[in-house]
Amino acid sequence: MDLKINPDDLNSCVQCGLCLPHCPTYRVTGDEALSPRGRIRLMREVQDHDAPITYEVSEAFDTCVQCRGCEPACPSGVPYGRLIESTRETLTKAGELSARRQKLAFGALAHPRILRFGSTLLALAVRLRLAPKRLGLPRNLPLRRAKHAASGDDIYLFTGCVMDAWQRDVHHAGQRVIEAAGFGVTPTADIAPCCGALHTHAGLGDDARARAEATITALSVDGDRRPILVDSAGCGAAMKEYGHLLGTPEADAFAERVFDIQEWLADHLDHLPRVEPLDVCVAVQDPCHLRHVQRAHTATRTVLEPFVHRLIELDDDSLCCGAGGAYSVLHPEMSSDIRARKIAAIERVSPDLVASANPGCSMHLAGAGVETTHPMELIDRALHGDS
Amino acid sequence: MSWLRRRSRPTDPLLADLCGALAPDRVRADGAERSLTSHDASVFDGGVSGPVCFPTSTEEVQAIMRLAERHERSVVPRGAGTGLAGGAIPLGAPIVVSTGKMNRVVQVDLENRIAWVEPGVINLDLSKELRPKGFHFAPDPSSQQVCTLGGNVANNSGGPHCLAYGVTDAHVLAIEVVLPDGQVAMLGGLEDEPGGLDLRGAFVGSEGTLGIATKIAVRLTPNPPAVRTMLLSFASVRDAAQTVSDVIAAGVVPAALEVMDQRMVTAIENYVGAGYPTDAAAVLLAEVEGLDTGVDIDVARIDEIGRANNATNVSLAGSEEERAALWKGRKTAFGAVAQIAPDYYLHDTVVPRAKLADVLEQVYEIVDRHEVLVLNVFHAGDGNLHPLLVFDAREEGTLERVHAAGAEILRASLDAGGVLSGEHGIGVEKQHYMAELFADADLDHQNRLRQAFDPACRANPGKVLPMGHSCADIQALREVPTGVWG
Repeated sequence: MDLKINPDDLNSCVQCGLCLPHCPTYRVTGDEALSPRGRIRLMREVQDHDAPITYEVSEAFDTCVQCRGCEPACPSGVPYGRLIESTRETLTKAGELSARRQKLAFGALAHPRILRFGSTLLALAVRLRLAPKRLGLPRNLPLRRAKHAASGDDIYLFTGCVMDAWQRDVHHAGQRVIEAAGFGVTPTADIAPCCGALHTHAGLGDDARARAEATITALSVDGDRRPILVDSAGCGAAMKEYGHLLGTPEADAFAERVFDIQEWLADHLDHLPRVEPLDVCVAVQDPCHLRHVQRAHTATRTVLEPFVHRLIELDDDSLCCGAGGAYSVLHPEMSSDIRARKIAAIERVSPDLVASANPGCSMHLAGAGVETTHPMELIDRALHGDS
Repeated sequence: MSWLRRRSRPTDPLLADLCGALAPDRVRADGAERSLTSHDASVFDGGVSGPVCFPTSTEEVQAIMRLAERHERSVVPRGAGTGLAGGAIPLGAPIVVSTGKMNRVVQVDLENRIAWVEPGVINLDLSKELRPKGFHFAPDPSSQQVCTLGGNVANNSGGPHCLAYGVTDAHVLAIEVVLPDGQVAMLGGLEDEPGGLDLRGAFVGSEGTLGIATKIAVRLTPNPPAVRTMLLSFASVRDAAQTVSDVIAAGVVPAALEVMDQRMVTAIENYVGAGYPTDAAAVLLAEVEGLDTGVDIDVARIDEIGRANNATNVSLAGSEEERAALWKGRKTAFGAVAQIAPDYYLHDTVVPRAKLADVLEQVYEIVDRHEVLVLNVFHAGDGNLHPLLVFDAREEGTLERVHAAGAEILRASLDAGGVLSGEHGIGVEKQHYMAELFADADLDHQNRLRQAFDPACRANPGKVLPMGHSCADIQALREVPTGVWG
């Protein structure tokens, strides 16, 4: 079966195996089939030797978290993200992967009102203990959300879909921090409701491309060139890869306007006032798509350092936490095995709290009782107090 | 639809027995999945294996061995599959025993400096766990971030820091082994001088041909109080090699002495930017460990010897970051070549230290003649050469030239009084060269030892000993009836 993978991309893997320890599913299973080298070999078996898509083969592709921790570890520079995205898109279209079932749920992401209504129902269900436990939802999903308000037009703050419904407070904290640096902020809110990252990961390529095009159009009216700050590492990574996803000059130009909020702030740190640091020891959890895809993880440390008592590094080589967008819901067992390693690494350094620049990671960790906060919330607290 | 699809029930009797002995989800028989074990990190590809098993205990390994015996199948153990000599590839559709799920550090006894580990523990993981407690596991193969201790034992692996500390053999005290008939034996012991024949010593480096290690007692090495890392540049590889020889001759035993030639350094710098000078013909990375005053004296001696051998520059890593960067560069050397060509063949021979420079010159001459590109990076202190031939296998005739050049390099090393392998093992790669190093009588004795452990030749057949000298391997490698693994 033609997986529609570029053969050169596939052949760039020399099977050295250096990726294995950087793969969360290999780490918790010890199973070559659930490693990047194994998955690439399976892609070859399917694409080049017409191997049938058996249960085992589809499991191997389905259980990849797509953290892309294997990419920086790979000496040959294999574009693993591209390989697995092509594979999943082709297999999903052929009905071989489970993503079709997700299509309906993902459809709601581009409809903010439906999403918020559903999210409020879910928040109620969690409080009434009606939501299935395996979803691992945090107790404090918001029932209400303060409204977005633009303070100027220097910069866009991309607010996204699920994060806006569940963690709007983080957007507000980020907006206050950027404003404190002297910039006027326009939250994108419902004008660009979803970046399409979750669709890409699920293999729903057509939906992902539609989301990407809608986002680009909405934020590029009349030659708009404003920088777009993103406080969700997963969304930021997807938007920076629009050029690859769409293959158009407009998408390339758009991607250049996208910055992770920490990444941008690190270059404007001198605009913020010096204040008393918060008396907390903070462990930094690097979201995979900030570290491995955007490779902007050092900025988190740069921006947090002046505002907290102490930063602590984890000793687990930044292995994935198992959140993976919708992964924690779709593969709860594997996801919680992966999380157990992260929790152990956090416990080894016993911080007061954990800072994570991605909503999925922070909810996933919070689901296991780890106090997790966004770096922007910490800086906002240091600047403005707890109010 | 895949979500309606389930793992199919086994109809094959061996498979059904294995599924009964382990959990069914820890026995894999899918064709594509079995193809994953057909290779390691070398250029050799085995056939398709039989079932792939993931035991979690010694008892389960025993059960697999007994079933293999009952069904007359051979068994190949497999760790991370990063071997470079084809030691873990399947020949004759064997049962593959993956140690991937036997990855617990069972016990750490700091007082006696011993740790009991399962074979699937990753080398670097063990050292990482121990370092904050003041210890580490000394053998550090370049693949240490991924290779397993079971694989280290099988290949008697070395690494840059084995110059001062010795290779794996010196760090393994006892091994719990499941023999090919399913019995469990404890080889070696925790006492300083265990009595009897050193069967532990026979097992280390036996590449899975004597049984499967299920628990290993390793020696823990205290972290050195002071470390100094030096970088010496030279205008010729000969000067670098001579410096290595002179340093050892002067009685200095550094923890590591690593040489890289200009092509290698350039590849590394393009890949990770470790801080090596790309204008030198060769660089020498020298590391000394010990007490503060001692290492300073060693540094001065090496500096002096380097300059006497025309070193163009001698520098000392000024910070831990600088030191870590230099080592990161050295340890990712083999990966860095992927930027140059899609395929590589990493050789591994050992020559007497004093002959290093001569043999290296021959290596360059051989590869030039065969029109192959070579990069050199090696554990110079041990005389362990690692000529790295890079090529694109898709170009017609290239692989043949690479193999021809490799064979000549090997012969040149043997002619200089060297041996076949420093640390990668024999596997299938160097099997047919064994007869050039050993006399028939030697090989027969090795085979008799092997047969004492494994009379039916069921343990990793077709590896290490050349065909004419390896018991009943030919029978074990017989064709598997068509259709059994279709």
